[in-house]
Parts: sequence; C-alpha cells; structure tokens
Amino acid sequence: MLDSGCRVLKGRVILRLLLIASLGFVALPALAQAQAAPRVEPGVVYATPGGWFEAAMFYVFGGLAIASALGVCVSRSVVRMATWLFFALGAVSILYFLLAATFLAAIQLIVYVGGVLILLIFGVMLTSQSAWVRFTPTRTNLAVASLICVGLLICLMSVLAGTDFGPPSATSIGTPVEAIGRRLLTHYLVPFEIAGVLLMIVMVGAAHLARQEKN
Amino acid sequence: MEPFLSKLLAASLIPPFLTFWILVLWGPKIGKPRAGWVGLIGGMGLPLLLSTIVFVTWFFTGPEQRDALTSAAQNSQVLWSQLGDFKVTFGVKLDSLTVAIHFMVCFIAFWIFFFSIGYMAGHSDCVHHQSKYWRFFAYLALFGFSMLGLVISPSLLFLFIFWELVGLCSYLLIGFYFDTDYAPPAAMKAFITNRVGDFGFIIGLGIVFTFLGTLDLEGAAAAFKTQLAAGTGLFAKTVSVPILGWSFSGMTLATLMGIGLFCGAMGKSAQFPLHVWLPDAMAGPTPVSALIHAATMVAAGVYLVARVFRLLTPDAQMFVAVIGCITLTFMALIAIVQTDIKKCLAYSTLSQLGYMIFGMGVGAWTAALFHLVTHAFFKAMLFLGSGQVIEGCHHVQDMRRMGGLKSKMPVTCWTFFIGVLAIAGTGIPGFHIGDLRFGLGGFFSKDEILAVAYDRAFNWGRFESGGEHAAAQNGGWQIANSEREEASESVSLAAFSAQHKTAQPKGAPELAEQDAHAKQEGRTGEANGHGAGTAQEAGGHGAEEGHGGAAAHHASAKDPVAAGMKALPKWMFLFAIITAYITPFYMFRAWWLTFMGKPRDPHVHEHAHESKMMTLPLAVLAVGTLVASYALFRPMLAHAAPVAADAPLVVAVDGEAHDPAASLIALDHSADRNPHSKLVTIVGFSFLVGFAVAWLVYRKGLGIAERLKNTFPLNYLHTLLEHKYYFDELYGFLWVRGCRGVAAVCGFIDTWVIDLVYNLLSSVTERLAAFTGRVLDAQGVDGFVNGISETADDLAEALRRPQTGGIRKYVLWTVGIGTAVIAAFLLAPYGESAWTVVAERLGFGTHGG
Amino acid sequence: MLAIGLIHYLIIAAVLFCAGVFTMVTKRNAIGILIGVELVLNSANVNLIAFDRYHGKGAMDGQIAALFVIVLAAAEAAIAVAICMNFYKNLVTVDVDQGDALRG
Repeated sequence: MLDSGCRVLKGRVILRLLLIASLGFVALPALAQAQAAPRVEPGVVYATPGGWFEAAMFYVFGGLAIASALGVCVSRSVVRMATWLFFALGAVSILYFLLAATFLAAIQLIVYVGGVLILLIFGVMLTSQSAWVRFTPTRTNLAVASLICVGLLICLMSVLAGTDFGPPSATSIGTPVEAIGRRLLTHYLVPFEIAGVLLMIVMVGAAHLARQEKN
Repeated sequence: MEPFLSKLLAASLIPPFLTFWILVLWGPKIGKPRAGWVGLIGGMGLPLLLSTIVFVTWFFTGPEQRDALTSAAQNSQVLWSQLGDFKVTFGVKLDSLTVAIHFMVCFIAFWIFFFSIGYMAGHSDCVHHQSKYWRFFAYLALFGFSMLGLVISPSLLFLFIFWELVGLCSYLLIGFYFDTDYAPPAAMKAFITNRVGDFGFIIGLGIVFTFLGTLDLEGAAAAFKTQLAAGTGLFAKTVSVPILGWSFSGMTLATLMGIGLFCGAMGKSAQFPLHVWLPDAMAGPTPVSALIHAATMVAAGVYLVARVFRLLTPDAQMFVAVIGCITLTFMALIAIVQTDIKKCLAYSTLSQLGYMIFGMGVGAWTAALFHLVTHAFFKAMLFLGSGQVIEGCHHVQDMRRMGGLKSKMPVTCWTFFIGVLAIAGTGIPGFHIGDLRFGLGGFFSKDEILAVAYDRAFNWGRFESGGEHAAAQNGGWQIANSEREEASESVSLAAFSAQHKTAQPKGAPELAEQDAHAKQEGRTGEANGHGAGTAQEAGGHGAEEGHGGAAAHHASAKDPVAAGMKALPKWMFLFAIITAYITPFYMFRAWWLTFMGKPRDPHVHEHAHESKMMTLPLAVLAVGTLVASYALFRPMLAHAAPVAADAPLVVAVDGEAHDPAASLIALDHSADRNPHSKLVTIVGFSFLVGFAVAWLVYRKGLGIAERLKNTFPLNYLHTLLEHKYYFDELYGFLWVRGCRGVAAVCGFIDTWVIDLVYNLLSSVTERLAAFTGRVLDAQGVDGFVNGISETADDLAEALRRPQTGGIRKYVLWTVGIGTAVIAAFLLAPYGESAWTVVAERLGFGTHGG
Repeated sequence: MLAIGLIHYLIIAAVLFCAGVFTMVTKRNAIGILIGVELVLNSANVNLIAFDRYHGKGAMDGQIAALFVIVLAAAEAAIAVAICMNFYKNLVTVDVDQGDALRG
C-alpha cells in the first residue's frame, strides 16, 4: 500500500515537473529572442553569438540535456526513462533554437516530444501488465557496458580535442523555414518524395504489424 | 460580376461531389426511391440552377463585356502549386464555349437523371440480395462532377485529371451490371481502349509541358504563337527531346503534339481505330448510354479538340479530318444492318461524332460545336426513347421483334420521330422568311459542317483581290471585310514569306525553297503548311467598307495562313455527303421497325407499356431540340470562335457568320452564296431520299430487306457490315491471337531447341558424372571433402558462439569494436613507435634505418 | 567559456550518444532500447545542426539532413513500437533477452 502510494505521489511530482518544463520550453526561447532582438536586423532571428544570455542558455539546457540523458541511463522503469527522455529531447530542442534552427526546433518539439514520446508511452502501456515493470541487467553486463561507454566517450572527447575545425564560416542566417522549404522542393525533391512514400509504407506496415490476429 | 459568374461555375462542382459522398456513405440508409431523388437534386439539380443563372446572364451580356469577363477570369487564377519554375494554376475558364457546354451538360444530364429514377424503378438491381440502386446514382453524381470539372478547367492538367475521372465513371457505369457475363468485359474494353488514346494524350501533354512550358490553355496557345513567330522552341530547325535524345526537324514535333492530344479525343470520342468500345458500352443501363455514350462524355473529345485547336498544325488538322471522315462514313454503314435498337443508335452516335471531328478537321470550329450541342439534345432523346422501349418491352432490344408500338407508347413514338427528323437534317431547304429558316437540329449544324467542307474542297485557294463586292461577284470566297491590293498571286505565301524573312533575317535555305514552291503553286495555295506562321498584317489595308475595322484587321492577319492551307481532298467531302444520305435511311428504318407497321412479336407487343416518369424527359428534350436548333447556342458559340480564330497555324472557318467579328473567312449571306442554298442541290433533300428508300424497303416488314440481304453483291456487304468490318476479330487476331502466336513460337523454341540442348547436356553430364563419381570421387575426393567439412564444422562451432540472439549483446559488440577501432586510431602514433622499437629489437627494422 | 562554439555542441552530442548507447546495452525492456536509439539519433541531429550553423554554406543542407533524420526516426519509432507489440503478443513480455530465437 505504502509503496503504491509513494508511486502515485511520485507520479504527481513528475506531472508537475512536466508542466513547468513545458512552459519553460515555450517561454525561454521567446526570452532568448527578446534578448537578441535589439542587436540584429529585423526579420533575422537567431541567438546573438557570444552574448551572455546565449552562454547561460547553453549551459542550462546543455546541462539539462546531459543530465536527462544520464537520467535515462540510470532509471530502471520505462516510464521514468520516457520522462527523462522528454526532458532530454526538450533541452535539445532549445539547443536547436540557440543554433538558429528554429524550424528544426519546432519540428523536434512536435515530432519527438509530441509524437514519438506519446508513441513510446503507448507502447509501454500496451505491452506490460504494470507500467512499472522492471528487468534488471546483470552486474557484469552493467560493468562491461559502463566500461565500453566511458571508453567511447573518452575516445570521442580526445578526437574532438585533437581536431581543428577551423574558423566558423560567417553565414548569415535568415528564417530557415522558407529556405528549407525552397531547398526541399527543388534540390531535395526526390529524397523528399521518397520520405513521403516511406512514411506511407511505415503507416501501412505498422498497422499490419500491430494488428490483432483473428483467431 | 466576374467573380460572381466564375464562382457560380466553380460552385456547380460542389453539389455533385457532396452528393457522391453522401450516396457512397449513407446510400443504403437513404433507401431505394429516395437515393435517386437525392442524386437528381444534388447531383444535377443544383448545378443546373447555377448553370442556368450563368447561361442567362451570359446570354444578355454584350460581347465586349464578355471578353472582359473572360480575361478577368483568366487573370484571377490561383497558384495551386509551384515546383521550381513550373507553376500550376487553378481557376475557372469563363468564355462562351464553357458557358454553352456547361449549360448543355447540366440540362441534358438533369433530365437523364430524372429519367433514370423511372428507369431504375423497374429494374432489379440486387446482387446477392444487396441493392446497388444508390450506387448507380452515386456514380452518376460523380460523373456529373467530373464532366462539369472538365468543362470549366482552364488548364490542360486539370482537364486531364477530370478527363480520367470521366473515364473512370464510364468504366463504373458500363460495368454496372457486373454480375452479368457481358458487362465487365465491355467495361474493361472501354477502359483499356481509352487508355490507348490517353497514352497519346499524355505524350501530347508531355510535349506541351516540355516545349511550351505551361499547361495553361491560354498560356500554351500564347507560347505556341510566340515560338512559331520566333522560330524557337517547338519550331526550331532541329528540336531535340530531352532525356530521350531524339531530334525532330521543323514542325514535325508540333504535328506529333497535335496528333498526340487528338489521340485522347480519339479514345474518348470513339474515333476510327479506337471506336470499338462504344457499341459494347451499350452493356450499361440505358440512361447511362444516353448520358455518357451519346450526349456528354463522348462530347468531351470534341470539346478537347476545340480547346487545343490553337495548338494544331495543318498536318495535325488534316489528320483530324481524315479520322473524322473515316469514322463518320464507315460507322454509318454499320448502323444500317444493326438489329439491336441501342446498337443502331450507338453506331449513329459514332457517325455523328465523326461529323464533329471532321468539322474540327476542316476548320468548321463553330459548326462542329454547334453540331455537338444539337446532337446532344436529340441523341439523348433518342436514347431515352430507346430506353423507354426496352423498359416497356421487358428488355427486348431486337427491333425485329418489335413493330407497331405506336399505339402502346405514343409519346415515345413521336419524340423519337422528332429525333429522327433532327438527326436526318430535316428542313425546308432554300426557303426562308427573313432570316428565319425552317429546320431541325442537323439541318443547321450538319449542313454548316458540310458547307465548310464543300468550300474547303472545291473553292479553297480562290482568294480574290478586291473588296466584298468583287468577291461576291466572282462567286468565290471573300476574305471577311478586308480589302486587298496585292495581285492575287502575292496573296498566297509570297507576301507571307517576305514577312517571315524580315522577322528572321537569317532565313534558312529551306524557307527560301518553300518560297519558290509557294510561288509555283500560286493561286491554288497548296503549299504545305510548314512555312505558314506569323501574323502578317501588311495585307489588309483596313476596312473602309464592311462591318468593322477590328474584324478586318483580324481577318487580314490570317490570310497567308489560310492561303497556306491545303485544300480538302474531294473524296472526303464525297464521303460526308454519302453519309448524309445514309443517316436518314437507317434512322427512319429504326423508327419504322420499332413503332410502325404490324407487331411482329405479339408477346412483346401485348406487354408493352409507357411509363409517365420517363415520358416527361422525352418531351422536355424534344422541346430542347427545337430550341437548341434555333436560338440559344449558335450565336454564343459563334462568339467563342475568336478563340479558335486566334490559332496561328490553322484556319477556323465560320460557315455562317452570325457574328462578323468572330468569323475569319465568312460565307456570304446573299442568296446565291448561302451555304444552305449551295448545298440544296447536293444534300438539301437527302432526308427525303433516305426516308423514302427506308419506307419503300421496310413498309411491309422485313421481307424486302431479307430478300435484298440475300442477293448477290449485297449479301457479302451485309456480312461485312454485320461483323463491323471484322474490327473486333482483327484486334482479337492482332493483339490476343498475336500474343498467343508469339507464345506458341516461344513454346516451340523452348521444347525443340532449348530442351534439346539441355537434354543433350544432361546426358553428357550424366555419363561424365558416372565416371567421375566412381573413379575420382569415391577414391580421391571424399577424404579431402570430409576434411574440409570437419574444418567448416569446427569453424561454424566457433562462429556461432557470438551469435547469441540477444540484441543487446550485438549492440555491445558493435560499439565495443567501434570504440576499439577509434582507440586504435588514437593510439596509433604511440603504437607505431612501440612497434618500431619491437621490430628493431627483433631485427626487422630495415625501413627505419 | 562565454563564447559558445561548435565544440561545445559536439561535446553535448558525444555525451548524448554515449548515454544512448549505454541505454541500449543495459536496458532489457524493448521500449528502453528504443529510447536509447532516440537519444543516439538526437545526438546525430545536434551534430548536423551545429555543423550547419558554424560551417554551413547557408544552404541549410545540415538542417535538411536533420529533418530527414527526424522523419526516419519517427518512422522507425512507429515500426519499432509495432514490433514491440508483436513481440509482446508472441512472448507475453517485453524482455528482449527472451527473444533469442535466432541464437546460433
């Protein structure tokens, strides 16, 4: 009884956090733009490079992304993992805003946070008797995985440290939606169409796979 | 005003579309009689209302205002989609042609829908105890939607989309009795034959898209004109087709484009090589035959030709004329021997469609469309009459078993007779009170086509200098309202070529050749149309006398084009005339055999009855036939004629200039040069001759016809006609048997060549195997092989260990190995030096030192 | 520290990538593995967009690539959840360790 009560409470806390976080995802980019607005030409929207606010936003949300990713790693129940994933994806979308990819950020929020995550939750609900079901991995497994992943991280970091990317090219960035749209319907038309066909096949395929066999 | 009219036209698409979905989704709930009424009101009633408003408004609008409305509608198109530089626009075509055809379609379709309710009431429409009554009306509504959409499309793309939708509806409706043996193949035949035509259509569209750069009708026509004048694009000296790499010279590709576009019309309007589907399409319910296969859908082909008229070249136009001529003659002959009342009407439809296409081909643009409208009225009425007969006789369609039905179904009898009179072109030739002449349907429309054909065949090229009066005195053509000062020789291509050269200073040698050629041909004007092109305005010196400056300007610009056209071969005119005599014969025959004389099958006659629901549309369409022959459509279509007259390469000839501004080359109204009075001696009384011969032959039943059928030359002819010139057999032989023949040859080769080789090889192999097996294998190889297999077995045993089936382990391995590789690369500098040290210690370090 | 550059984003992407891989390897729940995959894809997207921002030619190629990745990720998630449900239907569990029918 006590155990389940705790869970309910935790669930409420998580819900509240989710609510606050969603508000933050909407409000903060607006703040960032407001801070950036005086310094740029009208119609050009991007976080001011080098501004203190950009740095602050980056550290807050970069940190949130990393923390949430680690949260995904360490939590054991699928629901928690999904919750942490929600934070991670949201934080990454803020990073997209900082990178001036406003369209992608919106898409990230809509498709990932709105779509994929819901899908995952549905998957969780449809495939287990209890939403909190856990399967614990063995200690050896954990140890080997940690070793390899930390090794990988070290390797990647040292690659990053050892690579000179050169000076950033100063490309002026307008509103990306129109540019992306234009590019998609001209240069990338064939991949675009193929993606459309793919989505349709996926729709049919997923319906077919998930359908109940008649017996 | 403008948005109001074009919005009404666009709005007329909505009710049929909604009705279709309502009937599809809730048809069974709406129930049997009510679904029909829903289909009638939503499917055609509301569009008819809208269309009537547009038609009446348009009728009372002045010509200048109409032109303003047309261009306003053209300019207010909406951008539908843009792919790169290619824009697809979306809008409503608003001109006299659209308004007239739209109203015609709505009006006829409405009464046919009305008829359908009565017709379907007496029909069992159940398949496996499930009614498909509502489905019939859903299809009809979808058809209405597609046909109206086709008519108001301003762009070839949308025209094509609706075109295909119409084809789909045709397929669905022909195959409506899909539980029978005969309907599904007929539906498939219609669909596949139309696909053959549409293949050509798509090629034409592709050429339009590639070279003219737009699919908008006006835009394409404008681009056509510009390219022709500049000698670029489609009209460059050598045109190479992108991707395929084929190249065409001069105007070949433009001609191909015209023929390709016409191929679509050939399929839908069932012209000569693709005509085979229309008679079979009689498998559908009779209202469908009336609606689609007589009045409206087949008209789409003619409508298409009218729309793309400006994209034709002289050669393409001649192709159109030849196809139309062949169709009109040969199909009329088949109609003589048909005994099935619907088939007889079907062949007469083919023949009349041939007339329209022929009219387009000879340049009788207005006349062909006028014939389209009058034909739609009387043919719908004839088909509905035949539906009434079939329904009344309990599905007997054989005219040999009918006869004497006049007493049982008087209304049907006399409306059918009006239809017969109309299709036969009955009238009082050569007689008129003021401007009023007396006649019905074909008397005006068909004779107009024939008049133009007559002048194209016999008077063509007789361009005379001097004004209207001189031309009238010479009894030849006058060039509308213009005054020419050049000598008659220079009227032809010479002047034009000079103009062309100034437009293109570095004239190609072939042009010069053509010039010489044209001079040789001189007055006959039989120079081929290759050089004919740009508008040449030097010819006309304005119109001091005549009807108006604008008309003269218009006409004189076209003179060289007209002069560059070939005269019509005389046999084509002859064929059309012969058919004008055949038509009254077989139509009178059909009417007489059905309604007059003595009942030949008492059983059929006893049970015959007439349904009230179905007589009303007949009466309305009979009145419509009368009205359409006179007042409504002819002037409106004549007003649309500048659309065709704007064609840079071909000539639209207006047979009877009701609207001087619209006519390009006009026949005079004076008594001796009136087309009707000209034709009086040739075909004026053809209807009387046809009726009389038919009456003489059939007045006492089938006896005389039977005897005629068995006399010597006629018996062979009869067999030939009865088998429809063996076209079905020919296609069956060519395509079906041809495929089987090829398959048989392949099978023969397979059995006797390939199998033989294989058998030989196999026996050789067998011998060899026996030798190697006993000698080599058993003694030497086995040991070796066993050794390999054991090794493989061990290897497999080792390899299957990592194959655990656990996906997490796979990920772990993948990432682990990846990490190791990255680490190896990172550590390589250290590793290399370490290896060098080791190698030197071991004494391999030669490369270092 | 104040000026945020390409390297900052790449570091975050690297961490996300490793976290994703770790999740994939250690979670036995099929949905958990899916979550790991989403993290990995996101880290790739961060890379693409960061490179587009700092080294792009203004043609949005990186963003479009990221867009396609998102599309593919959505497709993959749909199919994967369907597979999970099928898996669950057949084995009455979502423990991927139970599904080793392809063991050598």
